[in-house]
Amino acid sequence: MINIELLKETLKRLSFIKNINEINCEDSIIRGSIVILFDGLESSLNFRFEIYPPYPLKYHGSESIKFYNEDLISINHVMQDGSICIHNSHNTDLKQKILMDFDSLKQWIQKYYIDKENDLNYEHIVVEEGLVDENYYSYIFTDISHTFSEGDFGKVDIFPLNNAFYKDKVIQNFLVQKFVFNKSKIPCKWNSHYSNIQASEFGLFYFLDKHPAKMNKFIFNNWVEFQGLVSNVFLNYLHQFEKKFLTNSKGNILPLFFGYRTVNNEIHWQVALIKIGAFPIKGEAEILLDIKTGKWNTKLISSDIQWALVRDSSYKYFFGRGTIDKSITESKILIIGLGAIGSMVAKTLTRGGCKYIDIVDYDIKEPENVCRSEYLFQSGLCDKVREIESLLIAISPFVEVTIIKKEYFELIAKMLYKDMESRSHLIANLNEYDIVFDCTTDNDLMHILEIFELTGQIINMSITNHAQELVCAFSPNIYNFVNTQFSEILNNDLEDLYEPTGCWNPTFKASYNDINTLVQFAIKHINNIYKNSKEKNNFVIGTNADELTLEIKEY
Amino acid sequence: MDISKHDYLEKVLESHKMKHVSDFVSKHTTKRDEIKSELQSNYTGKIYIPINSGSYAKHTAINIKFDLDIIVPFKRDAFETLEEMFDSVYDFLYEKYKDKATVRKQKVSIGLEFYPDEDGEVINLDIVPGRELNQDQYLEDKKLNLYVNALYGVLKEKTYIQTNIQAQIDHITAKQNERKKIRLLKAWKHHNRETYKSFLLELLVIKAFDQANIDGDLWEKLKKTMEYIQNNVNQEGFTLKDPGNSGNNVIDTLNTNERQKLSDTMKRIIENIEANDDNIKIYFPINEKFEETDAQRGYGIKTASASVSIPPNNTRFGL
Repeated sequence: MINIELLKETLKRLSFIKNINEINCEDSIIRGSIVILFDGLESSLNFRFEIYPPYPLKYHGSESIKFYNEDLISINHVMQDGSICIHNSHNTDLKQKILMDFDSLKQWIQKYYIDKENDLNYEHIVVEEGLVDENYYSYIFTDISHTFSEGDFGKVDIFPLNNAFYKDKVIQNFLVQKFVFNKSKIPCKWNSHYSNIQASEFGLFYFLDKHPAKMNKFIFNNWVEFQGLVSNVFLNYLHQFEKKFLTNSKGNILPLFFGYRTVNNEIHWQVALIKIGAFPIKGEAEILLDIKTGKWNTKLISSDIQWALVRDSSYKYFFGRGTIDKSITESKILIIGLGAIGSMVAKTLTRGGCKYIDIVDYDIKEPENVCRSEYLFQSGLCDKVREIESLLIAISPFVEVTIIKKEYFELIAKMLYKDMESRSHLIANLNEYDIVFDCTTDNDLMHILEIFELTGQIINMSITNHAQELVCAFSPNIYNFVNTQFSEILNNDLEDLYEPTGCWNPTFKASYNDINTLVQFAIKHINNIYKNSKEKNNFVIGTNADELTLEIKEY
Repeated sequence: MDISKHDYLEKVLESHKMKHVSDFVSKHTTKRDEIKSELQSNYTGKIYIPINSGSYAKHTAINIKFDLDIIVPFKRDAFETLEEMFDSVYDFLYEKYKDKATVRKQKVSIGLEFYPDEDGEVINLDIVPGRELNQDQYLEDKKLNLYVNALYGVLKEKTYIQTNIQAQIDHITAKQNERKKIRLLKAWKHHNRETYKSFLLELLVIKAFDQANIDGDLWEKLKKTMEYIQNNVNQEGFTLKDPGNSGNNVIDTLNTNERQKLSDTMKRIIENIEANDDNIKIYFPINEKFEETDAQRGYGIKTASASVSIPPNNTRFGL
């Protein structure tokens, strides 16, 4: 707990603090106020401050000291309650921390109050997350290929994602699937999986000309603040809508989407939650020259707005924090073989932002596959392709995943590759892919793919026992390279194999960590090759004797 | 590796020798002689004696890829134009062999790919028509103009190239040392799916022997040859004169990036082999089909080494 006398003594060392008003401590929170004046500041400013018990440490990622001035809420980085948003430096020394924090306040005054600087980054308007019947609601949207104009309104099709806990309350998550406007459907740019799910719920939308916010940064908190921003036509429509659904759906929550433009003409949405039967509207008789016309108009009434959580999950923001190179993410990719390596490749590419991934494997996922691949125990026994498809779609709403029939390579290609007409059909099919990852360890398939001389890039990946090395080869030079590596160069331990109980089917020994370390390194190298248009030289990643150093050798 | 790199490379060369495919070669030579005879009969009075060319004639062939070409020298007045010559030879060969082979126009030659015979083997021959530069001078200067098929020409306007095939053949004659390195680099090219022209590799090896001190055992010589290529092929001003046409700098068939890539590749090969002798097997593999084993002391198809209870030694993992 901070000592008030120590605080006072420390603050006296700061010359820009002209006065320290009464400081008290209540419920372990220290409260006080100060007067600040320094050269360049025309007149003094008063700030309240609150210091919380964890001080000088942060808590929940936020500072445990807060400064307030309700008169400054129009200034950048001031919240609606007058608190100043400052990110201070870390220091565990109490006196130093006090000096640094109050000095940060001075710097904020200089930057945003005196110099009136504007930040380059667009900041979303501040929305207070509201609870409805003790539930949070969230709506996740993405880009659309349509430009709305002011006053456009219509229906929004949504469907529920999983319910979960959010700040210890239940949150109902929804995905915005499409907008229905003038009888046209305007789909959100999700992958076909999310686009084709039958929307089970809906909301309404209205497109605004400006942000629904005070001072362009605090979202409206009362419905009357929308007066003049939404058309009478829409308000009348709301009235008719409520009337229509009142009998059967009274009390149901209707999400009302307000759209507006932000940076680079992007559309952002805020969602207000209203209950059918309690719409914030009333009928008002139309009066012309003091005479009632007999018509009724719908007006907004004063009541608080409950705002939902909204997230822009468009590709740009979903993958904003990091992707692999565009030359890979935009490629049409086929992954053959979804074992340890194949499943890791599939998942990594998906998290890296790849949009088109086809998969093929004839095998079944068994419980013992789970420990060193991307499969889940929860799903039990299943076709590997099915689980990987689900996994990839669960990760990214932008990846298109297509399952290729298991017979394609195992039967059709292997049986017909010598027949020239069939071969030309197979080649034509496979030439649709820009990149083919062969993770099968199948030498026969490696041979067939090599003689096909595909226009796309084949990338063959396999490892030695104990994941000592990973061998990666690029077409056209795969078959000879890989075979020679395994049979002549690498010290592939074929004695210490894992032999499961049952029929003779030994397999290699290596943990998820062993394998994925190599796979991630390989994908990093491959990404680097694509990103910098480097030569696609075959390579081997080796593990040194200490098993902590990885070395890549190009051939 | 349990043998020296020199001994290993000797095995590589041995396994790539043409003698292992003598029956197949003899099918080619028989067909080649037949075509030469047909051409001479058809163009009596207009033609000189056709000559053999290609890697087989130059003794730089390896048994996984070899060319038997026929150069067909015509007299200057045999045709008004080179295109007329090219089309005439194509028409003749097409009529003669259309039921037995695919006949197609290529860049400077007419390709004949015979349908698989009773052994399933396919004979490929390239016929290159050429016309002497000056009337009745061929026997003396061996100079020919070749027609360049417009479909393949680098420049639209260029419809012919001047060459001296005999000079190209003579350039490699009696160069036993160079031929070994050429065959090794050709084995590297084919096994590693490199796209460099064999003619380019030939000229590089010959120039390396001419300009650098290439000595030592087979590996040392190969290494020094590759070092020469590494150090020179990317240098500005480096030239590779075509012995058949001094105005043709063959290195110009590679752009700057390709030249750097070739240099980098040579460097990587040397470094990897020096770091681990076994890596030589990646770049210069033995043709397993004709590998001489201690047990066999003869040639034949290599049998599988795996038993039913032990995974084969090239077993890969990752599933």
